[in-house]
Amino acid sequence: MNPNVPDDSAAASRYAIEAVAEITHVSRRLIVVYCQHGLISPVATPEESGWLFDEEAIHRLRHIEHLRTEYGMNMAGVRMMLEMLGELEQLREEVRFRRGG
Amino acid sequence: MPAAFKDYYTTLGLSKSATEVEIKKSFRKLARKYHPDVAKDKKTAEEKFKEINEANEVLSDPVKRKKYDELGANWQDGGGYRPPPGGRAGAGHRADGTPAQEFHFEGTGFSDFFEQFFGGAGRRNYGFPSGEQEFTADGGAGRARRGADIEGDILVTLEEAMLGTMRPISMQTADPRSGKAETHSFTVRIPAGATDGRRIRVPGKGAEGTGGGVAGDLYLRVRLAAHPDFRPRGADLYYDLDLAPWEAVLGEQVIVPGLSGAIKVRIPPGTASGQQLRVRAQGLPIGKSGDRGDLYVVSNIQIPTEMTDAERELWEKLKVASSFDPRSDSKT
Repeated sequence: MNPNVPDDSAAASRYAIEAVAEITHVSRRLIVVYCQHGLISPVATPEESGWLFDEEAIHRLRHIEHLRTEYGMNMAGVRMMLEMLGELEQLREEVRFRRGG
Repeated sequence: MPAAFKDYYTTLGLSKSATEVEIKKSFRKLARKYHPDVAKDKKTAEEKFKEINEANEVLSDPVKRKKYDELGANWQDGGGYRPPPGGRAGAGHRADGTPAQEFHFEGTGFSDFFEQFFGGAGRRNYGFPSGEQEFTADGGAGRARRGADIEGDILVTLEEAMLGTMRPISMQTADPRSGKAETHSFTVRIPAGATDGRRIRVPGKGAEGTGGGVAGDLYLRVRLAAHPDFRPRGADLYYDLDLAPWEAVLGEQVIVPGLSGAIKVRIPPGTASGQQLRVRAQGLPIGKSGDRGDLYVVSNIQIPTEMTDAERELWEKLKVASSFDPRSDSKT
């Protein structure tokens, strides 16, 4: 390990779909399917500058794969789970914000 | 590596029976005193500020506070946490009871104790299908498996989120089989405009792979430190401004602190309690766009609790002279 060398490759990075596929071992086709189902979304519109994703999308893809392989969830189940977790996160933030006041 | 118990009540100078209001008050007072931007001895103040924030994070949340109080009651001196019958301790074990690879961070702004019991993200093993198989007969032998991703929290002050910063992190890992400890040091860039809950991916700093598999990634989840003056919501900031009743009625010019310098704000006549006055582009940066969120000044009308005879007389006069009826709606 090289200490104290700035590891800023992670800062505000954008990943092309090929890179995302390589990092997550999820095929490009499946990534597109997930996008079509609204489970993940690219940061830029595909027509504008191609399929670009951020770190959140990579994290989400890992999460989706985990739910599918570990818990045997189907697409509908994954979608419901992600929606519920998203809502929970929002509510937590709201509570945090209000408590801080 | 058992985490040492943290006495959050002592950190905030409170008794165990402190009310929510007392916790908030004490936090604000101490956060102002030790805020890295204000304090003279920056290094000591920074440490203290982090401790205060961590204590506040737990004690200001009724659910976390309850858990903390229960932990305290079950804590053994020197021996760490004694789980109640039927429960299992923290994140140090896999489902089958074998010890998992342990991680221990420094530089994230949170203690091991916090990470173990209150880390919001937990240590999920995304990306490692079937973490439990590692120790079974065929698991791992010869088959390349990618290492697990690790999640941790990182405390970021509003000022750091404003400008962006580089944070040195050191991570110690201990292999549960050999007991061998290793330290990895690296620097993580917190981009300007990092919002609460955002995950920063550090490639290859997760758990090691097996059978020649690559290492997993480390995800650090940004937790914005509570600020004595501002509450963030996305890129917007909220500032509670206390006003005297006559200031709210007649209007006033006030100076409010901003993250990039004091701001003059005009309170218009007839400002209601809770009313929000927007100051454009005085919030946190929005990504790399160069735009900034807004600052909302929230009016909070304070009622005087003590008054002189002369003051009382004036209020009495106002009562007689005024035609204002706050309950006129309910009479029609």
